[in-house]
Amino acid sequence: MSQALAHIVDDDEAIRDALTWLFRTRQVACRAWESAEAFLEAWQPDWRGCIVLDIRMREMSGLECFEALREQGNSLPVIFLTGHGDVPMAVGALKKGAFDFLEKPVDDNALVDRVIRALAADARRQASEASQATVATRISQLTPREHEVMRLVLAGKFNKVIADELNISMRTVEVHRSRVFEKMGVRSAVELAQLLAQPRD
Amino acid sequence: MPHTALPPASSTPPPPSWYWSLPYAAVALFIAAMAALLWLIHREDAEEQRATLITDVLWMEQNFSFQFERNNALLVQLGPELLADSPAGTTTEARLKRALDPESGIVRVLWLDPDGKVKGAAPPFTNHEMVGETTGTFPSAAAFRLARSLGRPVYSESYAVLENQTQFEVHQPIFEGGRHLGTVVGVYSLNALLARQVPWWFSERYRVSVTNNLGVEIAAKSKVSPLATLAYEIPFEPPGHGLNLVITAYKSEVRWIPLLLMGSLGVLAAAIVWSLWQLRRHMQRRQAAEQALSGEHAFRKAMEDSLKTGMRARDLNGRITYVNPAFCRMVGWSAEELVGMQPPMPYWAPEAIEHTSGVHQQILGGNAPAQGLEVRLMRKSGERFDALLIEAPLIDDQGRHIGWMGSVVDVTEQKRAQELARQQQERLQATARLVTMGEMASTLAHELNQPLAAISSYNTGCLNMLEHGSIAPDELTGVLQKIGKQAQRAAQIIRRVHAFVRRSEPKFETVDLNGVIREAVGLVEPDAARRSVGIDVDLADGLPPVLADPVMIEQVAINLIRNGMDAMADTPRRERRLHLATRAEDGMLVFSVTDRGRGIDPEVAEKLFAPFFTTKEEGMGMGLNICRSIAELHRGRLSFEPNPDGGTIFRFTLPVPHP
Repeated sequence: MSQALAHIVDDDEAIRDALTWLFRTRQVACRAWESAEAFLEAWQPDWRGCIVLDIRMREMSGLECFEALREQGNSLPVIFLTGHGDVPMAVGALKKGAFDFLEKPVDDNALVDRVIRALAADARRQASEASQATVATRISQLTPREHEVMRLVLAGKFNKVIADELNISMRTVEVHRSRVFEKMGVRSAVELAQLLAQPRD
Repeated sequence: MPHTALPPASSTPPPPSWYWSLPYAAVALFIAAMAALLWLIHREDAEEQRATLITDVLWMEQNFSFQFERNNALLVQLGPELLADSPAGTTTEARLKRALDPESGIVRVLWLDPDGKVKGAAPPFTNHEMVGETTGTFPSAAAFRLARSLGRPVYSESYAVLENQTQFEVHQPIFEGGRHLGTVVGVYSLNALLARQVPWWFSERYRVSVTNNLGVEIAAKSKVSPLATLAYEIPFEPPGHGLNLVITAYKSEVRWIPLLLMGSLGVLAAAIVWSLWQLRRHMQRRQAAEQALSGEHAFRKAMEDSLKTGMRARDLNGRITYVNPAFCRMVGWSAEELVGMQPPMPYWAPEAIEHTSGVHQQILGGNAPAQGLEVRLMRKSGERFDALLIEAPLIDDQGRHIGWMGSVVDVTEQKRAQELARQQQERLQATARLVTMGEMASTLAHELNQPLAAISSYNTGCLNMLEHGSIAPDELTGVLQKIGKQAQRAAQIIRRVHAFVRRSEPKFETVDLNGVIREAVGLVEPDAARRSVGIDVDLADGLPPVLADPVMIEQVAINLIRNGMDAMADTPRRERRLHLATRAEDGMLVFSVTDRGRGIDPEVAEKLFAPFFTTKEEGMGMGLNICRSIAELHRGRLSFEPNPDGGTIFRFTLPVPHP
């Protein structure tokens, strides 16, 4: 799994260098890209972190780059840096799911704060996705009978009722139940319910 | 009671259709009357001829009867002597001779005994003379018997004899004391009778012939058959027996006078009818021509009246001889007022009267340009308008030059439209300049933003490090160097802009300030006239030349004059005067522009020279800024002060170069 990075995309070398320096002074790991094209070429779906995108660039503009990233299924938060007069464009981008935008000249520490917040948001998202992946893996380890028993346990039914419905002995139900708890890594029915109630999306 | 308008009095109404047939009818009546008269005359004439003929015929018949009577008497005298058995005496001979005289018509005398036997004949005869069926019946036994029994002369039937002659007999019974002694027969030759008994004058006029009971002509006085049909037929009695005497006039008398009269009348009538018809045709042609003429006239009048172009004719002295309605509408005077007017015309605008009369002289001199001349004219209401005048010589139908024909077109609207278009164009250009400047400013802002943003970021980073107290001096040095580099970059951008602005360096040359200002005044004069601003030019004589860019100085002058005019937009018309002056003061030339506008507020005065500052709706706020830049380029100054009489004085100074 890759490291969480703040990707700075700006065609001005001085800006890249200055931002890199600035981020470093706040202990934010970052990487600078000299053009939108270079960044798009290198981009990987499993990257973590955030993107700081300058809107006005010589070749591909920041907005075009944002559109391209969306099409490729990017989930990294994007912070736009806009120049004078680009505010309406940036607002449009925000509606399309950009994380934030800052108008130049920026308050540098405010920018860093936003980046840190974006990184945290991405980390949260990543964690949530990871836990969901775990639950799915655990469920896939259950036998069909265990899966059935889990469904009825989650429905809040007592062991006796479950035994009646499945036409098996109480004892067998208890065995299945303990196996489900064990495989799902929970200790009680409440914990099981909490695990499965987490948002899947 | 509603008022009914009378129909407009039309020109003489066309004559009714019977009007033209009247003379024809009169002529026809006249001819008919004359024809009737002639016919009557002719008939009377024919009657008269006929009457004459009848008279003549009766006379003829009478003549024959008389002759027959005389012959019978002679035969009665001869009878006893011839029938006596004694030889004939001399008296008898003489009488016989007289009876046989050709005049009497008797060609032979026979004397028969009471039994009808021929006792003698003189001249003696042979049967050979008889032809046809008469053979053996001569002398006629029937006639003999009838005469004997009746006791009076009886005529026999006619019969043909040799040589195509016709004869008949008269049997005269001779009685003596009641005893029938015998009969004396006179043989007549019809032919001889006719030949002898018809006198020459009669036969000259008439053909006399005898026809038998079958209608066949058996004897005639003349062989020539007549032409005329006028004939009269009466029974030839004696001798009777179906003989008819036919009298035919050779020719009817031609009456020349009525004929001539008739002929001349006919010719005369024909001539009258023909001339009437010709007259009528002429009248019709004339009427048609008149109608065509009036139609043409109406058409031309309509054309003239509906023209939007004013038309005006003048004689060689410039007196108006004709104007069309469009011209009247244009100037507001009526045609009656205008025609006969001499220049100067009342519709010449007083302020442009010199120019207009110059144009007038040019036209009368025949030097008017073909593309026309523009003059300022005035309506009766005092309203001014610009007109395009196109003049051409007026040539009459004999080729003489009798004046000038001019068309006048109101071009005020056109000029206004042109002016509007020009203003819009200017505005558009200004907008374009503004857009360009805006873009330039935007680019500049972005360009400058980059190094500044970088500096800011470096700076913030440094501060962050310092806050944590964990910065190595080396690191700090590097960053500060970078900050310096970005500052340099920003400076470079600004230098570049400056260089761009400096590209329009002034081109200094020796300049006569007054000349430049006169040119500037010439350029703005039309605008000033439009805005009713009077420009007083007070230029000092003998100003030394200055080193300057004449185009730039002119630009300053125009700008200051325009500003002055703009400032007086709300000033009453009469007070709109702009005073321009040049002076030499303390080694400087001063050009001052004094307006009578509302002056400049103190808060406005502060920002007056700032770029993009303007008090005008359409201004860009660069004018005075540029003017000041130009002044500074020339080491001069641009300043302003309030005018003690109201308004503002702008001063533009230029240093006089030291010799």
